[in-house]
Amino acid sequence: MSKITQSLYNWIYVLPTLVLIIFIFIIPIAYNIWLSFQEKSIGGEAVFAGLKNYQRLLASSMFYKSVGNSLLYTFISVTSKALIGLGVALLLNKKFWGRGFLRGFSILPWAFPSFVVAVLFWFNYDYRGTFNTILKMLGLQPVHWMSYENAMWSVILINIWHGWPFFFMGYLAGLQAIPTDLYEAAEIDGANVYQKFIHITVPQLKQVLLTVMLLSTMWTLGEFTQIYMTTGGGPVDATLTIPMATYKIAFLTEINFPLAAAYTILVLPIYLFLIYFTLKQMGE
Amino acid sequence: MAGHSGKILNKIIIAVGVILLLLWIIIPTFWAFKTSISVPEEAWKPIPTKITLDNYLSLFNPSLEAILRGMGLRAALPDPMIVYVTNSLIVSLTASIIGVIFGSLAGYNLARFNYRGKKIVMWLVLFAYVFPVFILMVPILVMMRYLGLYNTLLGLSIVHLAYTLPYSTLIMRSYFSGIPSVLEEAALIDGCTRLEALWRVVIPVAIPGFVTAFIFSFTLSWNDLLFALILLNSSHKYTLPIATTFFLWGGEIVDPGGLAATAIFAGIVPSVLYMLVQKYVVVGLVKGAVKA
Repeated sequence: MSKITQSLYNWIYVLPTLVLIIFIFIIPIAYNIWLSFQEKSIGGEAVFAGLKNYQRLLASSMFYKSVGNSLLYTFISVTSKALIGLGVALLLNKKFWGRGFLRGFSILPWAFPSFVVAVLFWFNYDYRGTFNTILKMLGLQPVHWMSYENAMWSVILINIWHGWPFFFMGYLAGLQAIPTDLYEAAEIDGANVYQKFIHITVPQLKQVLLTVMLLSTMWTLGEFTQIYMTTGGGPVDATLTIPMATYKIAFLTEINFPLAAAYTILVLPIYLFLIYFTLKQMGE
Repeated sequence: MAGHSGKILNKIIIAVGVILLLLWIIIPTFWAFKTSISVPEEAWKPIPTKITLDNYLSLFNPSLEAILRGMGLRAALPDPMIVYVTNSLIVSLTASIIGVIFGSLAGYNLARFNYRGKKIVMWLVLFAYVFPVFILMVPILVMMRYLGLYNTLLGLSIVHLAYTLPYSTLIMRSYFSGIPSVLEEAALIDGCTRLEALWRVVIPVAIPGFVTAFIFSFTLSWNDLLFALILLNSSHKYTLPIATTFFLWGGEIVDPGGLAATAIFAGIVPSVLYMLVQKYVVVGLVKGAVKA
């Protein structure tokens, strides 16, 4: 076979995937950029509007509020998930009866779809639901979980509960890959539990930790379902995150596609920055 | 001495940790679970006194559902639940089967061949894997309208390839990388063509990989609310995630039993599938998927 036919032959395998990725990702991104410079006239064709959409967004408090909300939501969720995941991984890396069952059981929250987790928490956050029943049992006052002050913390808790097992699984795989003779050698040198953790466990887990952290940050920053189904971005704008704001501009409040496109292009650098680091971390 | 008290301390830490872990997982799931087997009057009682399976049965039995609805016990859904369950199954199966077929071809290519431009292909797949899809909601809707695929289950399945295709490609790539190429080379020497070698030698060995890729793809599509919300317009085309939003009306849960049963059912399907491939979960997602 000649070299050229050989290389054509290679491309046939990836061609469908390549075409579909270009069709579903690359063309839409390009279209978004074009659309962001247009203006919507009701019933008419889109007309070129220059930077009008961008100016409008940058002058609106909604833009800054939604980005701020997203950063808070993501930072607290990811940090908590990382800590809970680490705790559970360390626990289930010890040898005891029932460990195998618990390892399987622990992925349950993560195996549930986002929309199912949202429904579970409808029942928990209802005024008559789980959490207020527990509070009453403890002799405390019931809480309005979805009030303006509490809603952000409530949606963060949903995200934490849903996402921590991903960290747990990543850490556990990492822990299992650490050679036991490292610990044995440290013990001979007289290292205590804390020293072993800092000098062996943490450095050995670093790569896994970084990959899992970056992936989770991307996903949390793009979480739509949980917020759409619980607060819809409200009350007012208390839980308005970037994905929710995009949806609202496009389909609920403004119903303005060019404005929504401009909004996504404005926030795109945040995501591209993260994607760059994620790909670097995963690729090489 | 020190070793002995250390052992006891270790046991206490494990016991406390296990209890906390179990409470942390069980408490948030408990209410939905108990409501799904409660009679309507007891939906908001912490412990049910009567147990019923009607909520589950009515998901699959439209005539039972109609009776309950006639008694005012069900949410005002436009269609019987079974319609949404079927739609979800159709979309998830289509998206995952196409995703796994194309993804495994691409994964094989990325695992085995070396050529100019391979790096770009790999980066594109990784890019698609991590890219937040909500950014695409407006253009995808416009494109699907233009192609006449708006409000069709096929259109939604094609868009769900955004989830299933990059995953399948990465999982299959890591799987094929783990199969020694000596196997195919031997077959090639014996006079097989590349495709024959693939079909007869490599694919049988890679079956666990196909199963894993399929299960992941299926659940990713099964879980999607965003694109279903945007692309489906008539109620008889709705998938399960959209149907569940009908149970909430003005911030109030209208049919707790039906909602809880729907959610638990929708959650058990991917959970059972994940348990089957639990061993590969992390390998597929974090390590092996990208690091051959």
